Amino acid sequence: MGKKNNEVMNLKRGKMSNESFINLSMLAVLILLFALASIFINNYFGVPTALNLVANNWYYIILGIGVTFLLVSGHFDLSVGGTLAMAGMLSAYFVQDSAEGFSPLASGLGMGYGWAIILALICCMLIGVINALFIAKLKVASIIVTLGTMSVARGIAEVVGLGAQRSANLPEIYGKVGNLSLVGPIKIAAVIAVVLVLAALFVEKKTVFGRRTYLIGANQEAARLSGIKVERHIALLYILSSLLAGITGILLASETKAAISTRGAGYEFNALVVTLLGGTSIDGGFGSVAGTVVGALILGVVSSASFSLLLRPEWQFIMKAIVTFLAILAQRYALDRRSR
Amino acid sequence: MNDNVLEIKNLLKDFPGVRAVNDVSFDIKRNTIHCLVGENGAGKSTLIKILTGAFTRTSGKIFLNGEEYSAHNPKHAGEQGISTLFQELNVVDQLTVEENLTLGIEDTKFGFLRKTNKIKKIIEVLKDIEPSIDPKERVSRLSVAKKQIIEIAKAVASDADVIIMDEPTAALSEGEIERLFKIIKKLREQNVTVIYISHRLDEIFELGDYVTVMRDGMHIGTKPLTEVKDRMDLIKMMIGKTVIECYEPRDDMSGEVVLKAKNITNHKLKDISFDVKKGEIVGFYGLVGAGKTELARAIYGADKYSGNIMFNGKKLGHNPGKTIDAGIALVPEERRTQGLFTLLTIKRNIPVMNMKKISRAGLINAASEKNVSKEYIETLSIKTDSMEKETAKLSGGNQQKVVFSKCLFADADLLILDEPTRGIDVGAKAEIYHIIRELAKEGKSIIFFSSELPEILNSCDRIFLLFEGEMRSELQNGDDIDNQSIIHICTGGN
Amino acid sequence: MRNKDKLPRVRNIDARKVVKEAYVYVILILVVVVLTLIKGEVGQRGNFLFWPNIAQILRASVPVIMVSAAFTFIFITGNIDLSVGSTVSLSVVFYSILVLNGFGFLPALLLTMVLGAVLGGINGLLVMQLRITPVIATLITMSAYQGVARYLVPKGISAIKSGDVLKMPEWMSDFSRQGIVDAEVSKVFKEISWAIIIAIIVIVILVIVQKRTVLGKYMSAVGGNRTAAELSGINAKKVVWGVYILIGVVTSLAGVIRSSNMSIGDPYTGIGLETEAIIACLLGGTVFTGGEGSVVKSVVGAIIIVFLTLGLKQIIDPYYQTLVKGIVLVLAVALNHVLTRERKMAQ
Repeated sequence: MGKKNNEVMNLKRGKMSNESFINLSMLAVLILLFALASIFINNYFGVPTALNLVANNWYYIILGIGVTFLLVSGHFDLSVGGTLAMAGMLSAYFVQDSAEGFSPLASGLGMGYGWAIILALICCMLIGVINALFIAKLKVASIIVTLGTMSVARGIAEVVGLGAQRSANLPEIYGKVGNLSLVGPIKIAAVIAVVLVLAALFVEKKTVFGRRTYLIGANQEAARLSGIKVERHIALLYILSSLLAGITGILLASETKAAISTRGAGYEFNALVVTLLGGTSIDGGFGSVAGTVVGALILGVVSSASFSLLLRPEWQFIMKAIVTFLAILAQRYALDRRSR
Repeated sequence: MNDNVLEIKNLLKDFPGVRAVNDVSFDIKRNTIHCLVGENGAGKSTLIKILTGAFTRTSGKIFLNGEEYSAHNPKHAGEQGISTLFQELNVVDQLTVEENLTLGIEDTKFGFLRKTNKIKKIIEVLKDIEPSIDPKERVSRLSVAKKQIIEIAKAVASDADVIIMDEPTAALSEGEIERLFKIIKKLREQNVTVIYISHRLDEIFELGDYVTVMRDGMHIGTKPLTEVKDRMDLIKMMIGKTVIECYEPRDDMSGEVVLKAKNITNHKLKDISFDVKKGEIVGFYGLVGAGKTELARAIYGADKYSGNIMFNGKKLGHNPGKTIDAGIALVPEERRTQGLFTLLTIKRNIPVMNMKKISRAGLINAASEKNVSKEYIETLSIKTDSMEKETAKLSGGNQQKVVFSKCLFADADLLILDEPTRGIDVGAKAEIYHIIRELAKEGKSIIFFSSELPEILNSCDRIFLLFEGEMRSELQNGDDIDNQSIIHICTGGN
Repeated sequence: MRNKDKLPRVRNIDARKVVKEAYVYVILILVVVVLTLIKGEVGQRGNFLFWPNIAQILRASVPVIMVSAAFTFIFITGNIDLSVGSTVSLSVVFYSILVLNGFGFLPALLLTMVLGAVLGGINGLLVMQLRITPVIATLITMSAYQGVARYLVPKGISAIKSGDVLKMPEWMSDFSRQGIVDAEVSKVFKEISWAIIIAIIVIVILVIVQKRTVLGKYMSAVGGNRTAAELSGINAKKVVWGVYILIGVVTSLAGVIRSSNMSIGDPYTGIGLETEAIIACLLGGTVFTGGEGSVVKSVVGAIIIVFLTLGLKQIIDPYYQTLVKGIVLVLAVALNHVLTRERKMAQ
């Protein structure tokens, strides 16, 4: 009987797609959490806090783009945290002057800044290629492979950084890019994140490439039988994801004018959590970068609120776990009810 | 004790829109080999699933050894004395033979496994049936035939009264089949009744004491094999007089050959060659396991094969993308897992095979996409209130129409249809037949694979008969088609 | 590889099979040989193959080895547990707090193991009862347990350790560092700590469970063919739940040992442990699709990793560790893939 009512109401309301439903639900959650935080915390409510949410979580957003696309196609990428660190470290190493008599952490290959960035990003894409080889071609489980490439990438970062950091002897321009402010206090990284998100949304909704990603995730065999070059597509997604991780790493290193070998530890898991919070299904074929952004903001609210409430920073982990747990259950419950 | 081990009385099973088992009543005598035959969709598997507890009956009664019987799952059925050997083997490859035989019934002390007499007895049963199997061997190393024997031994050891075997010889070699038959015959002496389902009529005659024929969900007859004169007699019971021959020979075909296949061979197919003319509807008929899907997929390039296929003068490639580009599209056997993206909407499904047409420079034109869906929903009469409906929610018939739309949108000149009306109600079937005929009139060629003889006879201009991966015969459709000889050939006869 | 030629030519298939089954041992031997030859005089101080050196490495690696052994079980059932690292962290902190506050060794140990069972039980609940994919479920608990571990360490200090008021008892590190006998009795056995003994006992127990108990058999059944298992009446839920609890207990025990090592409760201890356990099992030939696996070979795999990382540490700089682990994992994946593919084709 409830089913009949539901159907009637759907016909009246006009069928909202499941995707929009989930996105709006998560947006509602975000607004709810923000409101709660505003009630209990002084000075929380306001534009500065909201802007800070984006400014402080831009890296999860950028990483989330790659992770979301891959999850939509039915695969994981846990290598992004390591790739991020590797990109920062390599860019520093490539750009540092190759001077004799300097300590090893202060001397590098002395390339021009532009070339250093390009070369570092190419190395990141190589990580993506390795992922693609094992996952798309050899069909090995993506969790295991990307855990491996995560360690390889981070390992490279640690080796090149000698376990520490490269922050000396870096040209002016290195620190400039990350600290550029275009409008007021908004740093360029956040702007780049927004631009990338818009581009990703465009690809997602309007391009054949985006459409094929959903098709592969929804039913890989049917996709193959429909003539889609599945292996090649997945390979491109992994290369894209690694590239995005590289961009994030370079921006982060630039922001602090230091390439730290331990940077981004755990970011890959957070990127996944944020993607799931945003409503992307772990089975593939369903989800959106828009949701991932909302998920990142939710996580941002949770962390900043806990921090402001003078709760200890360790609470973040626990809150993250609880929120993700509730979100997964809620999404499943909501979708089950809707399809009945 | 009652002579009958099983009595089925007025069994009825309804599914939404379909009456799969229609007031079926018959008895199965103790310690016999009782065969169950009928075409696809006759209701055999549904009946069996009710016996094994996988389905619940809508109404009717079943008596096992004189007492009323019902089971809510296969294990429950097994405990009461009915064991089933399904086509998918239920053994754990990673365990040994012994471990599989004792799975779920181990003797333990504080959680430790003990080798007691019970285990020894089960192994005795196995040795009695097939001495060459080493109980310590890992099951993954055994052939399909031996895995089956392990399941039989397990069933016998569990004191089963009835063992049901569903198409057990599908994957066996001749020698293995012989051995299996010896085992089955011996089971009679061990107080076990065997219900044997098969479409291979020779086996029925060799093995069976009794045979029950079903058709369209109804019980047609149960006889001792001694009262059945010959194959033809049985076949007559199986297909009755329900074949409506609406076929009309066509005169609008150009006779030009568009597809020429030579020596197609792979793990299942044996040297198949044929051709297809422009605007012709060519049918491949055969029963389960004949190789229809394998041939369909091979032509489409979805599976590997050796041999040569020329289409419109060019050699066909070995992957679906290339075949689609060449102008061929496939309606796959399993529409839910292979043909459709059930998670996605109708609008998102239809253009998949030819995205170029609704996009420019990689950008999708939303208006085109909408129009395309509208067009096909109208042309093929897809019943839906919106193109934004998820295909998972459509009825079988409408889902299949979406798959057809996909293929048509790919601008295919030749369509391969693999069991296109499976699981679809009568009304939708008629619509699909109509669509097929219209396509042929437009000059498109169709290769129609099916295990339902009526629809093949209804639609196809030429018919090829398949049996065990071989092409056995080629017939031109017309008034002088003899159904009985067709079934005869497709069940192994000459 | 040379001894493979000794097998009779006639039974060629057996030779290949032996290679597949035993390659992890071969790799171990190779690693030991390479490490020994790199530096120092064989068998003397400064060389890898110096018993006190190897013993020290083993003493420090008991936790990884134990967890890898138990991890095999979860792979056998076709699932995964990414929360083992956090479980160790939490156990470390919990145990340290107990000990610091006056609990005796045995009570503290037992309580920690109960904690481990609870943590594992939660994983089982999420995966089997709420039917959340193991990856997500254990990612969630990984985060939660890590959070609790960090939270339990009071603000301002980095780990639970001796402070002004409370001090860690002297006996705390004995478990993990002190040998089972004194140097006067036996030079060799002095190097073997109680922790190593416990680890060996645990491994033996795990092997016995796998090969001789009903649980062990059911693990393979559920992982190999869940439908067939359930048709035979096996309660898959209970089996997998039990395995998660078992891992929880073993992991918490590993945490106790880890904590004893340094006499502190460092909440960052367990990070990366799940990756190491996965590498160990992969090297040992356990397929993550379920149905089979070998505790002993996973242990050998763990020893290989430990030798590579800690052993190399003496020769090359410690910051190479992660890279080495990563490369080993990728190679192990490749190797695993090649060998299981052949196995499938051979059928």
